[in-house]
Amino acid sequence: MTLKSKLMATGAAFLIATGGMVYADGHATHPETGETLASDQTFTYRDLDESPSIDPGVAEDSAGGDIIRDLFEGLYNQDASGALIPGVALSHEVSEDGLIYTFTLRDNAKWSNGEPVTAADFEFGWKRAASPELASPYSWYIELTTVENAAAVIAGEMDPSELGITAINDTTLEIRLTQPLPYFPDMTTHYTLFPVPEATIAEFGDDWVKPGNMVSNGAYVLTEHVPQERLVRERNEMYWDNENTIIDKTVSLIIPDENVALTRFLAGELNRTDVPAGQFPRLAEQYPDDIMSVPNACSYYYTINLTDTTNPALLDGNVRQALSLAVNRDVIVENVLAGGQWPAYTFTHWATAGFETPETPIAAMDQAERDAKAKELMAEAGYGPDNPLSVNLIFNTSESHRSVAIAISQMWKQTLGVETELANQEWQTFLETRGNQDYEIARAGWCADYNEASTFLDLMDTNSGYNDAQYSNAEVDALLAAAKTSDNPQAAYTQVEQIISQDVPIIPIYHYAAAKMLDDAVEGWPYENFQQKWYSKDLYIVAE
Amino acid sequence: MFSFVVRRLAVAIPTLLVLVIISFILMYSAPGGPFNSERPLPPEVLANIQAKYGLDQPFWRQIVNYVWGVVSSFDFGPSFQYKDRSVNDIIAQGFPVTLTYGFWSFVVAVSVGVSLGVAAAIRQNSWLDYLAVGISVGAQVLPNFVMAPILVLTFTLWLGWLPGGGWNGGQWQNLVMPVIALSTSYMASIARITRSSMLEVLNTNFIRTAKAKGLPMRRVIWRHAMKPTILPVLSYLGPAFVGMITGSVVIDVFFSTGGIGQFFVNSAFNRDYSVIMGITILVGALTILFNLVVDILYAWIDPKIRY
Amino acid sequence: MFPNKAAIEGIGDAAHLAEVKGRSLWADARTRFFRNKAAVVSLVMLGLIASFALFGQFFAQYDKGFVDFSLIGSNAYKGVPSIETGHYFGTDSNGRDLFARTVQGTGISLMVGIVGALVAVIVGTLYGATAGYYGGRIDGLMMRIVDVLMSIPFMFVLILMLVIFGRSIFMLFLGIGLISWLDMARIARGQTLTIKNKEFVEVAVATGVRPSKIILRHIVPNLLGIVIVYATLLVPSMIIFESFISFLGLGVQEPNTSLGALINEGARTMQFGYYWQIAYPLFFFVITIFAFFFVGDGLRDALDPKDR
Repeated sequence: MTLKSKLMATGAAFLIATGGMVYADGHATHPETGETLASDQTFTYRDLDESPSIDPGVAEDSAGGDIIRDLFEGLYNQDASGALIPGVALSHEVSEDGLIYTFTLRDNAKWSNGEPVTAADFEFGWKRAASPELASPYSWYIELTTVENAAAVIAGEMDPSELGITAINDTTLEIRLTQPLPYFPDMTTHYTLFPVPEATIAEFGDDWVKPGNMVSNGAYVLTEHVPQERLVRERNEMYWDNENTIIDKTVSLIIPDENVALTRFLAGELNRTDVPAGQFPRLAEQYPDDIMSVPNACSYYYTINLTDTTNPALLDGNVRQALSLAVNRDVIVENVLAGGQWPAYTFTHWATAGFETPETPIAAMDQAERDAKAKELMAEAGYGPDNPLSVNLIFNTSESHRSVAIAISQMWKQTLGVETELANQEWQTFLETRGNQDYEIARAGWCADYNEASTFLDLMDTNSGYNDAQYSNAEVDALLAAAKTSDNPQAAYTQVEQIISQDVPIIPIYHYAAAKMLDDAVEGWPYENFQQKWYSKDLYIVAE
Repeated sequence: MFSFVVRRLAVAIPTLLVLVIISFILMYSAPGGPFNSERPLPPEVLANIQAKYGLDQPFWRQIVNYVWGVVSSFDFGPSFQYKDRSVNDIIAQGFPVTLTYGFWSFVVAVSVGVSLGVAAAIRQNSWLDYLAVGISVGAQVLPNFVMAPILVLTFTLWLGWLPGGGWNGGQWQNLVMPVIALSTSYMASIARITRSSMLEVLNTNFIRTAKAKGLPMRRVIWRHAMKPTILPVLSYLGPAFVGMITGSVVIDVFFSTGGIGQFFVNSAFNRDYSVIMGITILVGALTILFNLVVDILYAWIDPKIRY
Repeated sequence: MFPNKAAIEGIGDAAHLAEVKGRSLWADARTRFFRNKAAVVSLVMLGLIASFALFGQFFAQYDKGFVDFSLIGSNAYKGVPSIETGHYFGTDSNGRDLFARTVQGTGISLMVGIVGALVAVIVGTLYGATAGYYGGRIDGLMMRIVDVLMSIPFMFVLILMLVIFGRSIFMLFLGIGLISWLDMARIARGQTLTIKNKEFVEVAVATGVRPSKIILRHIVPNLLGIVIVYATLLVPSMIIFESFISFLGLGVQEPNTSLGALINEGARTMQFGYYWQIAYPLFFFVITIFAFFFVGDGLRDALDPKDR
């Protein structure tokens, strides 16, 4: 703004002379699309909370990931559709057995201090992230890649130098896996596997992530970081593709309250923020150009305690089915949440890659049929107006969980006469209560670790650590085991989903969507990217 | 007086120690832990983290280590949640913010509150009294989580005068709304306590005598009535001042100021033990300090008070 | 330095007179209270609010938990307050009748405010007066306990109460009570420090009156003015504090509600055009607080020993 007004003032005579045809905005145009670019290329967006860390090796949340992807660059990046494009690596070769990956790195990649980015920086980054000394909460991600000796290194049984990653020379990096993993190159877009500057870390220790100390190899450098207030990153002149980067500065502001954030968006202080629950339709009507909703790889469900600490009525399969049938998902997604969520009759998120949502009886019925069937099942189980069922439902305190719980408890009451006692709990208390099976029905959500159906369905395995229902079905276990080695696991997944839909250890409710306000002037957003990995360097702001 | 202050400061140390021990026990007995999450960490990863932060030690050992760290090197440990920061970093960054808006809120609350209260008492049952009572009641009944969004809607969205939040190094534009939102309810309380206290004092015989002697009202108020009036206000101001400068989570949440209130509440919900302890000790030390200051002021105002 | 009638009474105080005097003191106070118009009007107001909370449910057309699914998501134009639909105060964003919810929430909050204020008055005043009266080490110890209690992360106390005792309305009141008296104790103790130096107390001490009696009969009545005013100030903060306790899971749970929770929800949605969601609960909150204030002021004036 200040730049603009200054230009307006000093250039007033010039503007008059040229007949007012030239504005301060709009000297530059986008090299490909030819759109006129705004003179101020600053992208400002809202984050809910301060990220635990912006050290690639230690970071653990997705908001931190957004920041790290601007500051650092891994082997590969994702493009707007989620496909891989070269980052520091130009290409790779895989050995015939699929176990040895050899990456060729570009020779013009530089750290922000001008030093070249080499294969050794990746080797250091990986070994550091896996080391027990750093104790990264995301070290398990390295294990997930199945890289040689990862588990032993993390467990402290082997020195980090034994990790299966070697810099052959400055531009050649070799990684040895223990299992063929077709989606391994995809995994390199994740921050845990990014390079980090060894010399800087040696110099500053834990303080290396502070502005002024941090040396990074991404399109941006960290210039300001006030925890719980703001984080600013600005153009890295040393970045190999600096010429094609348009956004000069990205600012993330921590704004805990979503309604205040919306107000500030409407006041023009932000380019991007979240849509408060239930406000999507109204905002979409008022600001049709500034709103977006994309699938978000998470499923929302209620889990039912199947151990002996539960309400005995819930051990009856008919009761569980009736409860599931009586939940009118359409009301939940269209009225309560109304942000592009998807009604869920199966556990796996509908947009998961390579997954086809299976046919289940419940999905095939309409709500009237479901309600009728539910009443029938309830009667069969011996519950009715004279003998109403009472259940307990817990959820962690949050406005939207509360709204969903209120709606569902009333659906149960109005359709089945079930009395539901609602109880919210503070997050950590809730986790402990649920994890100890000290509940009857509990709210739960699960987000994909990777883009494949087993990330969801593995929860139904008897031995899964996240199986809070303590559901156990030998057939499901066998199917899940078979799917791991199968060329076409879809058949197994279909069967598992159908069994779950019959047994109802969980009541799937909806598949998440991310509803955001995004300023119309911001272009280049990767709407098609399922994991919503966005890079500031791909965005640009057009003149209005 | 001097020996009293020394004695109180000496007692402060065991008091803080008791505070540390009780808080430690409370935190550790509460369900959850700093590294609990919806998806539990694999055991070997968790073991590494616990070893790094000393959480694998026996409970008493952790307290001893903690207290020793604080005493020997003023080191309050690393934050478990914000892994790039130490507790010292967090307090050094957040406390000045809170102190700034808290201090200005205090100044506004005391100056406006006391003036309103005194004015209302002197002109009891006049329009001035009703106005003052009205303002103070109005300010009291609007909770700050209602006032904060109203302020942002008004000054940012409709009028466009002020930024909707952030701290920006403490620019005055960023200070206005936090100070208004934080000071109003304190201001109202101060006004009401002042008014009621002043009324009691004005009713006492010695003031009546002073008035009867024909002293000008202004002089009666300042010379005689002010001191006894301020005593109960002081008892309120001690904890209120500590409350204001140690932050309000509502202010931090609605105005994104990055103050210590937000850190405290987040750390409590995340079971970030070291940050909870650091801020608890800060609050405890300030509480003890300002209650001591209040006691000293008591003795100064009423020399008959002996401790 | 502050001679007054209470002091003179104090000098002449004797056990056999106490009964008579006590009665006349209260009778006097009552007369003076009922002369104060604002206080009487406010008392009537409180009565009306209480009966609204008690009997309002009989006028509600809907149960407080009943969700009208056709209204969810279209609250802004279908949930408007209206006599015809029976939603006198409109509906909330979950499609529930706001009238029924306000009735129920007012009841809870009224109780919370009263319990908080009562605990503060009784425990806080006695504790503070005792500490201030004895002074020295006892005062030091008692006040350091208050300092510690003021500084401990109280949230964990509440969470532990939830884990150990489970959720109940009694636990809510206990949580409120535990926190409400601390500031009051400091204020009472501060005032006691000056009062105990006055002649009437000194005379009582000299005539060998038991300390407990001095505190109850001479100190506490002189504290009441400030105590009552401060207690009324506590009412709004306790009502708001209740919503935090409920947030943790200890207090009021859906479908029950409280004014704090309703206002909280209303504040979130007021910019979306459902003004009624904040207006009605806030209205009841405000008039409740106003009524408490004026009743408090009236009581203060009525009980002020110096007025007589």
